[in-house]
Amino acid sequence: MTTDAIATPVFSKPVALRRISDRSGLNSAAGHLLMVLLSIFCLFPVYWMLVSSFRPANTMFETSLWPTQPSLDNYTRAIDAIPIARMLINTLVFSAVSTVLQLLTGILAAFAFARWKFPGDRLIYTGVALTWLVPFQVVMIPNYLLVAHMGLLDSVLALILPNIAAALAIMLLAQAMRGFPREVIEAARMDGANNWRILWEVLVPNLRGTIASLAILIFISTWNEYFWPLLLSRTAENSVIQIGIQMFMTAEGNQWGPLMAASTLASLPVLVIYVVLQRQVVQSFMKSGIR
Amino acid sequence: MAIASAAQTRLRRKSEQRLSPWLYLAPALITLVLWIYWPLVDAVRLSFYQWNMLPTSPQTFVGWENYTRIFALPKFWQALRNTGIYIVGLLPLAVLIPLAIAIYTHDLPEHSRNIYRAIIFVPMIIAPVVAAAVWRWLLDPGYGLANQMIKGMGLDPVKFLSDPNVAIWTVIVITGWKLMGFSTLILSAANANINPSLIEAARMDGSSKWQIIRDIRLPLLSSTVLFLVVMTILLGAQWSFTYINVLTGGGPLGATTNIYYLLWDFGFSTMSVGWGSASAVILFLGFGAIAFVLFRLIDRYSFHDN
Repeated sequence: MTTDAIATPVFSKPVALRRISDRSGLNSAAGHLLMVLLSIFCLFPVYWMLVSSFRPANTMFETSLWPTQPSLDNYTRAIDAIPIARMLINTLVFSAVSTVLQLLTGILAAFAFARWKFPGDRLIYTGVALTWLVPFQVVMIPNYLLVAHMGLLDSVLALILPNIAAALAIMLLAQAMRGFPREVIEAARMDGANNWRILWEVLVPNLRGTIASLAILIFISTWNEYFWPLLLSRTAENSVIQIGIQMFMTAEGNQWGPLMAASTLASLPVLVIYVVLQRQVVQSFMKSGIR
Repeated sequence: MAIASAAQTRLRRKSEQRLSPWLYLAPALITLVLWIYWPLVDAVRLSFYQWNMLPTSPQTFVGWENYTRIFALPKFWQALRNTGIYIVGLLPLAVLIPLAIAIYTHDLPEHSRNIYRAIIFVPMIIAPVVAAAVWRWLLDPGYGLANQMIKGMGLDPVKFLSDPNVAIWTVIVITGWKLMGFSTLILSAANANINPSLIEAARMDGSSKWQIIRDIRLPLLSSTVLFLVVMTILLGAQWSFTYINVLTGGGPLGATTNIYYLLWDFGFSTMSVGWGSASAVILFLGFGAIAFVLFRLIDRYSFHDN
């Protein structure tokens, strides 16, 4: 849908035509200043989380930019308080399985839209696209009741179920497949390949860029999901790390040190992916909009 | 013989073709129907009942009563007003400031731009719960860095999250923090995509910098800006859900409760399925109407240079 509007290369290379004008010196200094301020605003809270997580309890409230007596104290306290390893594994299973399933159902459905004209195809496509606009809060009560009815409350499986398919994956993949050169598909058909083989041996390998960027996007957003796990969670053992973090913030008071340690641990996998695949992560988020 | 078998294959092909798309679509469609469309219908049904979510207790049909009572509820109107404040408050952070930054920094060298890009995108990938935790720590009235600095300047500490007049703005700024870098990147990308020969031509004609921005850049950026505005209006209040839930619980005195949080509150804190569903239906219809109008606007007013 309208997400096309932003499917443009990030900061695409300025064309050679552009000249650096003479008076740009002062302007660009101001531009740098602006960007540095924005960068500090964006990064400082994350930095403060890291620094605070290494401050032992007795120096928790100091304001130095670097922990004066760095220690792993908060991490051991956090691990003692909640089953962090178990929760991280749950989160990993939840995100990885959701990613694989969403890609799988997305690839299949997108192929149906791209390959055939069939009665009602436009209607169904619109129906798929519209689900993107249904706020989760609107369907949460029936979803919750459905899970309860299945007897799956408080399980990682129930977390995955509504994530088996998503409009975004279907739409982005359908778009990519429609753009795929018809001649190549026809050539494969001449060679006697059936639809199934065309999909998996011609289309999918050639669309691996799109698929990979979609995978990054789905994985990160599932990893960060909070609302659905919040509805279903009963015990820490069967929950995800985002719920674990919340356990350190209670009405009675906050355990700042372990809270920052748990937050760091929860962010680490995503931050590592980001550091390694920075360009691809930014691209995949920009291609597919905000949700 | 050969002709007959060819006809047969064609026939088989045809019926296969009729069935195939549905087989490929089935897994996705079943999921979407089961978890989105059927629940929508069920929400409408439940909105006419009174029920406390316990399987053992009866569902009583109450007609339109849930709706009339919601509309009579001051809490509902407060949440609706707050939803408006969230949207209006987010627009400068998610659209206006990023737009200004994107235009102002368009001639920074490629190398440093890449570094800034990498940094300002970080909030986008941080989990909302983590963001909430970190901001809660930064803004703690006793020991948070922000208030330590405020106290250091000899001022009274600010109760960022427990003062009814301040809390909603705090949540808005945190939501904006998450989006600002991302919007800036989107607008910068759109800005960098503007054909430089247009700018060059205007410069040759003696247009001033401001004229170039007003007459070339802004019109060409309008579709991206409109897209971000629409996203902010449609999703803005929704993005803040986690922060409200973790940081204020909708309070103090309902000051940070928006319509999404109210739904959650009705459904799961008060265990009143009927109220929750009725407000879900109201929200969905309102949301759908706004989305419809906005997407029509986008269609009409988007503007392309090629």
